[in-house]
Amino acid sequence: MTNDPRKTPVGPTTPSGCGYGVHGLSRRNVLLASLAIASVPLLRYAPAHAAINDVMEVAPGIFVHQGRYEVQSPANGGDIANASFVVGSEGVAVIDTSGSARLGAQLRDAIRAVTDKPIKYVINTHMHPDHVFGNAAFKQDNPEFVGHYKLARALGTRKDGYLAANEQMIGSEAFAGSEIILPTLSIKEPTKLDLGDRELLLEPQPTAHTDNDLIVTDLKTNTLFLGDLLFSVHVPTIDGSIKGWIDVLDEIGQRKAARVVPGHGPRTMELPEALVPEQRYLSAIADDVRKQIAEGKTLEQATKTAGFSEKDAWKLFDQYHVRNVTAAFAELEWE
Amino acid sequence: MTIAFAKLSRTICGAVLAAGIGVLATAPAHADEDLWPLLREQAFGDRPISEESGFVVLETPQKVEDAAIVPITVRIPPHVRDQLKSLSIFIDKNPDPKVATLNFGPAAGAGGERSFSTRVRVDNFSHARAVLELEDGSLHMATKFLSAAGGCAAMQAKDPDADMTGLGKTVVRTFSPALSSNPIWSGQVMIKHPNHNGMQLDINTAKFIPARYVKEVKVERDGELVFTLDSTFSISTNPNFRFTFGKGDNNELDVSVVDTDGVAFEGMSKRPSGS
Repeated sequence: MTNDPRKTPVGPTTPSGCGYGVHGLSRRNVLLASLAIASVPLLRYAPAHAAINDVMEVAPGIFVHQGRYEVQSPANGGDIANASFVVGSEGVAVIDTSGSARLGAQLRDAIRAVTDKPIKYVINTHMHPDHVFGNAAFKQDNPEFVGHYKLARALGTRKDGYLAANEQMIGSEAFAGSEIILPTLSIKEPTKLDLGDRELLLEPQPTAHTDNDLIVTDLKTNTLFLGDLLFSVHVPTIDGSIKGWIDVLDEIGQRKAARVVPGHGPRTMELPEALVPEQRYLSAIADDVRKQIAEGKTLEQATKTAGFSEKDAWKLFDQYHVRNVTAAFAELEWE
Repeated sequence: MTIAFAKLSRTICGAVLAAGIGVLATAPAHADEDLWPLLREQAFGDRPISEESGFVVLETPQKVEDAAIVPITVRIPPHVRDQLKSLSIFIDKNPDPKVATLNFGPAAGAGGERSFSTRVRVDNFSHARAVLELEDGSLHMATKFLSAAGGCAAMQAKDPDADMTGLGKTVVRTFSPALSSNPIWSGQVMIKHPNHNGMQLDINTAKFIPARYVKEVKVERDGELVFTLDSTFSISTNPNFRFTFGKGDNNELDVSVVDTDGVAFEGMSKRPSGS
């Protein structure tokens, strides 16, 4: 894997270089990665880069795979989001499962390369396909599938669209076996899950990135899994409420954490710097859009100018920015 | 809404985007099936329709970013001096292809560029059409192709709970022209309404969320009719209309709205600022 520059797991990767770099490539990580590769026979037949074989232990018992800064495609097989797992003395919790059953199976193999403890929980930080379609690979473990109490509704109403779109984007072979699995445990109040000598705290959030964002905290290492409440490098995508998201980020910024794991971005970052580029991006859109609404401008006009000062600060800006402005406009015009 | 109807919708949403929150997909194989002759006959019989004759211009985004909120604008250039009778907007492949029909009244105005803008849902790769009827009964059409699709996902609310909050709130604004001699003013109506299409399955009840959408909007200026608008669920959540009207004495707009549940809402403009 060392000859693939895309997987170089060291060094700052955000444009501002913030918050990353505390966990370099250790001998243990290399060993783990090799083990994961060795345990994935499928790998020989899949494109070499569409594989979750680079999980890295970012803190004791916490392993993170980093997704690519891309839109789903046959080449990446849907591997565009971070996926993690936490190992306790009695069991394992998976936090997001990547974008296909195949990737979920590779993540499962990576877990099995580290531990044979039972996989008790599969937690989805929110509804988006690049975080949930790997769930199918864990059905055999009969875990609790865990999510925000609004996750079931969100997935239920989007199921057909998500299935069709993602199969089309990554191809039916790479997508084979993927399915929407609804949560068996819905989180409405802050809730702790016990993995044996370590607890995870699950906190459902008000509408922000989506209407079903869940923050997962490993209390033992004070590691926050923010899901897509935190984007780094990959431009944020608004599928909930820009106002709500800005508020949630303000609240997260007050927290102390040893590290945070973004939904898209490097494996770990640090508070509060990790939040700054995203806060700047969302504020730029909100400020510009509010100004244009006050001036009586239209949605079309706003989509041509609002937030374009951020263009060079993000990857995939052209793919998602106008959409973000559209969502922001439709929300903020009701203030 | 019947199951069969929902099924129909699903079968025609083969080109969904909505992966993550969506990027463009390619056209489905049956995208070139032409539904217009049928729609045309239903709406206008065998009346002749002039196409791209310069009487009406339809503006759509070059690249549709969010199929749930696609801004479209219909312009009637200033050289068209006739009074307007009606304007019909179609999206051929939407579950209900007739997006909106406006029937204009005496306060619709003349003597400058007239326009109508709204935001629509686009279910599939499709032609969008604006058919303008002038006072003399002549029909004029402009057509654009919308190369994006939201499939069923275009119909999903980002925050269904928030969408039901404040239902019926109707905001009305007027914008005076830069030149006070201009006989055409513009106005805006925003209606807080989810515009449910009846195609979403509520997984808690295993039933479809009943369709409920804005059905009719009537706009009057100083008591005279600007237009009545027959609307469908092809209009986006929180229906939003920008339009022109003829300058009057006070330029105050009164708006009445009725949805498919028969519930009525009202709104009125404040006096325009500066007057």
